[in-house]
Amino acid sequence: MPVPFIMPKFDMDQEKATIISWSKKEGDFVKFDESVLTVETEKVAIDVPAPASGTLAGIRFKDGDVVPVTKVIAYILKEGETFADLPKADLLPAPSKPEITPVSQPVPVPQTASVNATPIAIRMAKEEGVNLSKVPASGDRVTREDVERFIANQKTIGRVTVPATPSARRVARESGIALEMVAGSGPRGRVQSADVLATVKSVPSPAVTNEREAEVIPLTSIRRTIAERMQQSFQESPHIALTVDVDMTEAENARKRFNLQAEKMGQPRITITALIIKVVAWALVRNPYINASFHGDSILLWKDVNIGVATAVPQGLVVPILKCVDHLGIGEINLHLIELADKARDNKLRLEDVQGGTFTISNLGMFGIRQFRAVINPPESAILAVGSVVRRPIVVDDQDRVEVRPMLSLTLSADHRVIDGIVAARFLADLVAGLESPAMLLY
Amino acid sequence: MPEISYLEAIRQALWQEMKRDERVFLLGEDIGRYGGAFGLTHGMLDEFGPERVRETPISEATIVATAIGASLLGMRPVAEIMFMDFILLSLDQLANQAAKMHFMFGGRTTVPMVVRMPGGSGSGAASQHSQSLESVLMHFPGLKVVNPSTPYDAKGLMLASLRDPNPVCFVEHKILYKTKGEVPEGDYTIPIGVAEIKRPGRDITVVANNIMVMKTLNVAQKLSKEGIEVEIIDPRTLLPLDTKTIIDSVKRTGRLLVVHEACQTGGWAGEVIASVVGSPAFDYVDAPVRRLGGKDIPIPYNRGLEIFAIPQETDIEQEIRALVGGTV
Amino acid sequence: MSKDNGKGIEKDIGSREQFESHVKQLGLSDDHLISLYRTMCTVRHFEYMADRLYAAGKVHGTMHLSAGQEAVAAGISLAVCRDDYLINHHRGHGHFIAKGADINLMMAEFLGKDTGYNHGRGGSMHIADFQSNNLGANGIVGGGIPQAVGVGLALQMQKRKEICICIFGDGAANEGVFHEAMNMVALWNLPVLYICENNKYGMSMDVARATAKLPIAQRAEAYGIPWACVDGNDVVEVYDAMKIAAEHVRSGRGPYFVEAITYRYFGHSKSDRNLYRPKEEIEDWKQNRDPIMRFTKHLLQSEILDESQAQEIDAQAEQVIVTAVEFAEASPEPDISTLMEYVYA
Repeated sequence: MPVPFIMPKFDMDQEKATIISWSKKEGDFVKFDESVLTVETEKVAIDVPAPASGTLAGIRFKDGDVVPVTKVIAYILKEGETFADLPKADLLPAPSKPEITPVSQPVPVPQTASVNATPIAIRMAKEEGVNLSKVPASGDRVTREDVERFIANQKTIGRVTVPATPSARRVARESGIALEMVAGSGPRGRVQSADVLATVKSVPSPAVTNEREAEVIPLTSIRRTIAERMQQSFQESPHIALTVDVDMTEAENARKRFNLQAEKMGQPRITITALIIKVVAWALVRNPYINASFHGDSILLWKDVNIGVATAVPQGLVVPILKCVDHLGIGEINLHLIELADKARDNKLRLEDVQGGTFTISNLGMFGIRQFRAVINPPESAILAVGSVVRRPIVVDDQDRVEVRPMLSLTLSADHRVIDGIVAARFLADLVAGLESPAMLLY
Repeated sequence: MPEISYLEAIRQALWQEMKRDERVFLLGEDIGRYGGAFGLTHGMLDEFGPERVRETPISEATIVATAIGASLLGMRPVAEIMFMDFILLSLDQLANQAAKMHFMFGGRTTVPMVVRMPGGSGSGAASQHSQSLESVLMHFPGLKVVNPSTPYDAKGLMLASLRDPNPVCFVEHKILYKTKGEVPEGDYTIPIGVAEIKRPGRDITVVANNIMVMKTLNVAQKLSKEGIEVEIIDPRTLLPLDTKTIIDSVKRTGRLLVVHEACQTGGWAGEVIASVVGSPAFDYVDAPVRRLGGKDIPIPYNRGLEIFAIPQETDIEQEIRALVGGTV
Repeated sequence: MSKDNGKGIEKDIGSREQFESHVKQLGLSDDHLISLYRTMCTVRHFEYMADRLYAAGKVHGTMHLSAGQEAVAAGISLAVCRDDYLINHHRGHGHFIAKGADINLMMAEFLGKDTGYNHGRGGSMHIADFQSNNLGANGIVGGGIPQAVGVGLALQMQKRKEICICIFGDGAANEGVFHEAMNMVALWNLPVLYICENNKYGMSMDVARATAKLPIAQRAEAYGIPWACVDGNDVVEVYDAMKIAAEHVRSGRGPYFVEAITYRYFGHSKSDRNLYRPKEEIEDWKQNRDPIMRFTKHLLQSEILDESQAQEIDAQAEQVIVTAVEFAEASPEPDISTLMEYVYA
């Protein structure tokens, strides 16, 4: 058999060599170890010796060719062999690479070929290990922005917002407690497992309630927010509640006169709520500590009077805000109220409509509630609960004369950290004065 | 039970084993008439003769290489490197040769030798005679690195090292030489690769080696009066490291502090912490996982500076209080 | 008692009479001489086969070939006992083969197979055979020199008749441990035969540029160790010097140092382009000073072998290597599940 003459490997990481020149040609006799051609690797030029003695034949590559190492470049014919003995295909099998399975398998990237996406989106998804079929497309193809948005969302979902030790997280997980509900006692508010355990003790374990059947309603984000904020408010602000009864005769009269005006101007009828809001705004300006917020080591007396009106919507409770009410006339207040109510009903309230309140009014009068106590809406310091107007007999003068008057019960819940009883009382006195004699607002 | 010093405990182990096994012999500088730089081999020349208590010229590399060569032929040599700092002169023989021979030769030979070396600061010996280099030695698979903190551990671990078929670095601490403790007179071994809970506790796990064990014990006693219970783990062997004991402990206490005299950067505390934080114990960690190492400076000569170069009891106490108190 | 023939490497092989009388004086029979020849052929074929395997991309890593230095290996092996301990260096295939290694297992180790001497963990640079007291090749230049002190010490303490042969190159003689070890073997009168295989080059550095005073063997004088310097390409000369040295050492008179001057044909390792020595020099050694060629001339001249017999032995030696390659290629790789084995005993 002719001896295969392979392009030898000289360097550990060498993959190919360039033939510079053959010093022997087809048919020449060559001796074992004699230099037959010169090749060039990345490093330097080298002479290649013949692997055996015999006739050089079947040269496959010429000067200037780049040849992979271990490829057959020619054959050496032994004595008695001729060109006819040259094999058609390479005699030498390719060098066997050992099958070494890597210790750790690379994470397989999901197939993205079937998704309609821009090339850059495909590449990005592959690099980030994202399954393209899960990325929503903003247009007819998945774009890079879509992938970026998807990745950002993924990060938010898993993001740690509460600093807590691993142990605290485990205990919270095991007890079914939301870390957000736990006050952290560690540095920088860090929740430690003792904190979670303390919360566990104060919360009845779910096992108790599971003994009876119940329909499970998962919390919507609105409900969750309400739950959290109400709890926060009750835990943080020491609530005091003061109630006054207001004779709404004069207020009603005023409203009737306003409505004549409104009708003339082609505007909607003024509601009693709008009127109450106007008087409340006037009273808040005169009693700034009611329009304030507790701020750790200070109290912030807000310059603007932004009154939120608690509104029931199918999803729960929302509090759209009327801004700078002290600068608005009743007509304007009324219009804004209607506008906000519509938006609330149609679920079109924007963030700016529900942020920035300094005082809240809650009215359950339409349900026939005579008097109730509301929970302060943090970070506000007070909330006014308005009941229904009820016609009942009251003593109207110091002669003990009794008449039937439209009476309205107002209850102020106030944060005692900011508002003492007397401060609350003064505010309510002003409210009463304003509602029982609306002309006072002109003073 | 008799109370003897750490130094005497090691000598006792060597003595007893040399009587029991004639393959064991000592080699090192000045270990004969002089009795060794720290007096550890005192009296052994007279008992065993110059062949088996063999004094060498100052040739650390060849001292270790001689131990290798002899162990290949079935002897059980114990080489003394006078100060741990000098092991750096023998690092080729220790790390490139002894550590790797069993592996490179496909398991067909063993290198059953022990290299003894005292390290540690506190004697005013300055930068080149005071290092704690066990973190460096841990990095060579094939070596075992043993580090006793008490006389009891020293004798038991030495007897175990002498019977181990692998090359063992027996790391001593020169300040511990004089410390005393109860040591059984007879034969006993302590398994290599097993840590010991020197003091159980509920509030924090402190892993410490050689001299730091004693310091931490003192701190623990003090804190116990305030209701803070410190669990102290002495690894006893650094390579292979008994991570299981440490991980189980952290699962119970939720807090980990590692204390060593060796320089903080690149110190073996990082190894312990990485093992714990990457393990299921992570979910039980209730405070930052911290370490206290020697300052990243060569050991200074001045006595005051020398003391502050390594963790002191006040440092350890401060760390434990902060971690247990949740203020860091 | 030192012997330096001062003649360097001869081109002229000398007369038949000289050869025969020398051989007779040394007590070497025809069989001895033929076995020397066979050993040298086997080594030569192993080294060239190794080179071919590498060129064919079948060998991982690198190798350090000793083609051209066969006489040193063969001469030593005949002069010492089978059970003597050998500490070798990275250019040690020849010494292994001469000591009687199983070529199949050598070749398998060479190819990194599990059936190799070291279960594929060592490769060319770390082949060892503890059954035949072959303590392994060292990849650190000079790494084995001080270990010989320990081996010699153990032999002395165990009162055994074997000696330790420690072979190293000209480059290693400049390592610090060389001097530490010389001092200690002399101090303790240990049974160590140090052999410096001076093939003129460290990696690329000519020995004359690296070594302050030649011959290297003369350094032994400073430690009170007897030394000799010999033509490493004359296998009978090598045998002669080694025999004297080994007897001295075995008799308990202490260490001995022999320097053998020789030459390697291949580069230091596989990445060596031979840029540091002229082609003519390599050719000169190959054509005029080749140890096998010179010895063959003697054997033919003295009619110990004829042409066809010599070729036959050569072909048999080649066949041994070919068989070894077949064995090695058919052998399995170590299984990945055994990755963590052999770290600790």
